[in-house]
Amino acid sequence: MKFIASKKLSDNQSLRLVMIWMIVALIITLGLNIIVKSIDYGTSPQQWVDTLLGNTEKFIDPMTINDLLLRVHTDLFTLILIYILIGSLYIRTSHPKSLKLGLLSISLITLILYPIMLIVSVLYSGAFAVEIAGVSFILFNLIMLIESIWLLIMLIRGKL
Amino acid sequence: MNPRILQLLALVFIALVLLQSVLGGVLFWHSIGITPHAIFSHYEHKSLHGLLEVVSPHALFIAVALMATLHFLSFIPTINENTKRVTTHLLFGLFILDQGSVFFIASGFELFAIIKLGSFILFELLLGWVWIIIFEKTLRELK
Repeated sequence: MKFIASKKLSDNQSLRLVMIWMIVALIITLGLNIIVKSIDYGTSPQQWVDTLLGNTEKFIDPMTINDLLLRVHTDLFTLILIYILIGSLYIRTSHPKSLKLGLLSISLITLILYPIMLIVSVLYSGAFAVEIAGVSFILFNLIMLIESIWLLIMLIRGKL
Repeated sequence: MNPRILQLLALVFIALVLLQSVLGGVLFWHSIGITPHAIFSHYEHKSLHGLLEVVSPHALFIAVALMATLHFLSFIPTINENTKRVTTHLLFGLFILDQGSVFFIASGFELFAIIKLGSFILFELLLGWVWIIIFEKTLRELK
């Protein structure tokens, strides 16, 4: 499949430029994603647990299921788009197929674990599920960031 | 490349898309309700400002998301041009119908509650189908 462009992006300079800026914007988005989550949920696993499940000692109310669903729904929509955009470009790189498949698989598994574990945690008050969700979110964003930076380098050097 | 791994990945992605669609549905059900009457009751007392606060970000984000999704679809040679054209018209049309209905509901047209519900369900199903096609083709490239 010829995602986005012809066989080689470097053949089409204007499209290559668009792709470079799209990757730059996605890198900023991924960075901001992590910052926003650290403000919303906290920077430690305990803070994530407190925000989602509440903490009577600290007078923190648990998150309502409606609020959580809204956040997860919005997050998932954004993250799926990021995954499709970066994944479709990353597949064109010269990396070994096993590495490409490995990174795509891990990011996909973390992408599906994140919303499921968040919902499970609120429905069953599971602190462990919150931690899995947090780790999944960070891992997904990091893999996407690494792939994006690699893509940016390849695009700038005209090797994609 | 082991086809079983690819099939498994495809299944995980399909599950993800289904999860997103189900989440959208559950959110709709929880915050508004799934009967035309509940939808009408939710929107009939909303102010123009209240409606715009929801519709405005959706209009921007869904338009960008559809553009990104459909431009991928346009590069898939196995899907014929007519299907691509119809899918594009349908997705944008359903989206406009879904978002635009709320203004008519707020003006008292109860029929638009049914139109909103129908267009919302069809939009979710169609978008899920497009995402699955794109992912399946991407995986085939890896083979």
